[in-house]
Amino acid sequence: MAETTHTTPNKSARTASAQRLGFVAGLRENWLYWLILVILVLFPFIIGWLSGDSPFGAPRGDRMVMRGESVYAQSILINIFALAVLVMSYNLMFGFTGVISFGHALFFGLGGYLMGIILEFGGMDPNLGLLVSLVVVLAVTGVLGFIVGLVSLRLRGIYFAIFTLAIAEMGWLFFRGLEITNGEDGLNIASMPEWIDPARNRILVYYVGLALFVLTFVLIRRLVNSPVGSVFQAIRENEERAQVLGYNTLRYKLFSITVAGMLAGLAGMLLAIMNKEARPEILNVSVTVDALLMTIIGGVGTFTGPVIGASGLHLLDTFLREAVITIGPLTIDIGERWTLILGFIFVLVVLIFPYGVVGTWKRLQMRFRRNK
Amino acid sequence: MGSNIFGGKRDAWLLVLVMLVAVLVFALITSEFRLNNFAITLVSGLFQGMLLFLVASGLSLVFGLMDILNFAQGAYFMVGAYLAYDLQHATGVFNITEAVPDPNIRFIVGVIVAILVGAFLGWVLERWLLRPLYDRPLFQLVLTFGVSIIMLEGIRNIWNTTPYSWTEVFGIREAQFTLFGQDFSMYRLFVIGVGVLLIIGIALLLRRTRLGIVVRAGVEDPEMVSALGINVRVVFTLVFTLGCAVAAFGGAIAAPFLGATISLGATFLIQSIAVIVLGGLGSYEGTAVGSIIVGLALATMQQFSIQVSIPVLATITPMLLLVLVLMVRPQGLFGEAR
Repeated sequence: MAETTHTTPNKSARTASAQRLGFVAGLRENWLYWLILVILVLFPFIIGWLSGDSPFGAPRGDRMVMRGESVYAQSILINIFALAVLVMSYNLMFGFTGVISFGHALFFGLGGYLMGIILEFGGMDPNLGLLVSLVVVLAVTGVLGFIVGLVSLRLRGIYFAIFTLAIAEMGWLFFRGLEITNGEDGLNIASMPEWIDPARNRILVYYVGLALFVLTFVLIRRLVNSPVGSVFQAIRENEERAQVLGYNTLRYKLFSITVAGMLAGLAGMLLAIMNKEARPEILNVSVTVDALLMTIIGGVGTFTGPVIGASGLHLLDTFLREAVITIGPLTIDIGERWTLILGFIFVLVVLIFPYGVVGTWKRLQMRFRRNK
Repeated sequence: MGSNIFGGKRDAWLLVLVMLVAVLVFALITSEFRLNNFAITLVSGLFQGMLLFLVASGLSLVFGLMDILNFAQGAYFMVGAYLAYDLQHATGVFNITEAVPDPNIRFIVGVIVAILVGAFLGWVLERWLLRPLYDRPLFQLVLTFGVSIIMLEGIRNIWNTTPYSWTEVFGIREAQFTLFGQDFSMYRLFVIGVGVLLIIGIALLLRRTRLGIVVRAGVEDPEMVSALGINVRVVFTLVFTLGCAVAAFGGAIAAPFLGATISLGATFLIQSIAVIVLGGLGSYEGTAVGSIIVGLALATMQQFSIQVSIPVLATITPMLLLVLVLMVRPQGLFGEAR
């Protein structure tokens, strides 16, 4: 998988030295990230100011109704945050460690379902329930990731991928048939703590989502640029060589899979909070396929690729689904043809961006620098 | 990693035997030792196994030779199913009832057209889309997925999405055969027969023809084959085309019984992937044996899950079986131990 080498040692060394140089130099190195962070923090208010709708929703009686441009935009971004965390976690495992799993949906779905079950049937105070959910989700996805990782001791490559697919499919079929969570209809989560209820305080859900997104991004960047991350990448390039060098590669793979699983669980929780439900679809293999496609399209083994893949495809999905284009007498309802267009997007991206969007961009940059 | 207790091919057959006996004994127990119930399980199991084989065989050949997991294989199955149905019936898009008045002949025409169209679409995919991507296997995965979406959406737009119900072919749907005092539709026997013939046919192709020798050598070591002066690319194209044609053929054969629904392909695809991994990647006999075992186990568990009224038990069976086999034999039943 030599084509996935985008983080050259040179680059990570540069970042590491920037961290040592202190805050100002770090600011200069990462100015674009800081700018995006500031924009994202102010985003609900910017949209609110542009559209004239309050970012807190419209008041009706003594409560707020979630209506208006800003609130709608927040919901899109919350979905993107959840999706981006999922895809970043997938990329940690797949893009940086070289472990291909087809079962990532299991961790994502368990995050949603475990929280839903604890909140609905736990009989606790919602706030306590949310805290318990957080602990349980992290523990269960972590332990499960560890167990699935242990299997990778014996299974290699595509065998491991299909093994994880089988485990995840069983999870999907199990929850689809589980009666207490209403089978295929899914579980409605009504007893949500009021402060994080998207029907009342959308903006707080937005900031929780933003926090999770930023923390995941920073965590993965730190991890990959650390010595542990170098071993991850060594495993990706050539596992046997890493073993010969004396690394216990299983331990590192276990770590990578466990962290990725936990992050995916958190992403699933966020999505379940936003939708106030846990449906069996979040466990379906299509979630994994989406994560895989978004990683590849954005750029395998890059930091920004998964974010660009996730947000790009989700934004296209959101806006094109409702779009109707009229060219002269010809009216095309894109919503009806959306899936078809998505298929063409996959094919075209593969043919136009041979290393994903970010990967191809970096290669062009490198070639441009060399020619200069 | 050679210290596995189930290392050699002899052990693989032994394991297969153990699994088959276990499944059949369990089937006998769930049918409460009544032979007519056992017959239902047996026929239904072989039937489902053969349907799986129709999708899995192409998948297995392609994966074994070129390491491509063709996500579009299910879509080729659907193209075959819809085309065959459409050509046989007057209500479809292409109406050939005037040219060919006999519905049975129309069915044969439908099957042949399905094979040809499947082969053509397979050729287009391999020659014009996949070939530039052989040094980037991940992107092949994305590409086949994209093509799968395009094909399924194409089907959705050409034919409406209402599930077509199944129809009469040569009177074999209405005709019955009896096994252990239980009546069955002849169509099940027909599909089982076609499946067995296909297993033998592809086996002969692989064992007895020059192409088969090249393919088997290519599975072992493609570079060596091209070093011997054989144009591996042409062989890749041929095998991929063949794999897609077989999938379309499978769809055409299954359509009169299963009815053509848009989601059919996806279900079969996932289960077929489980089958080829369970059988051992790159092993043709593994795929054939795996299909039959999974089919039989599925039918047995369907029976059992009705008795204990836990429907999940049946649906998870293929995956559970795969997980268990990989636990015992990490390379699948007939896969090469690495």
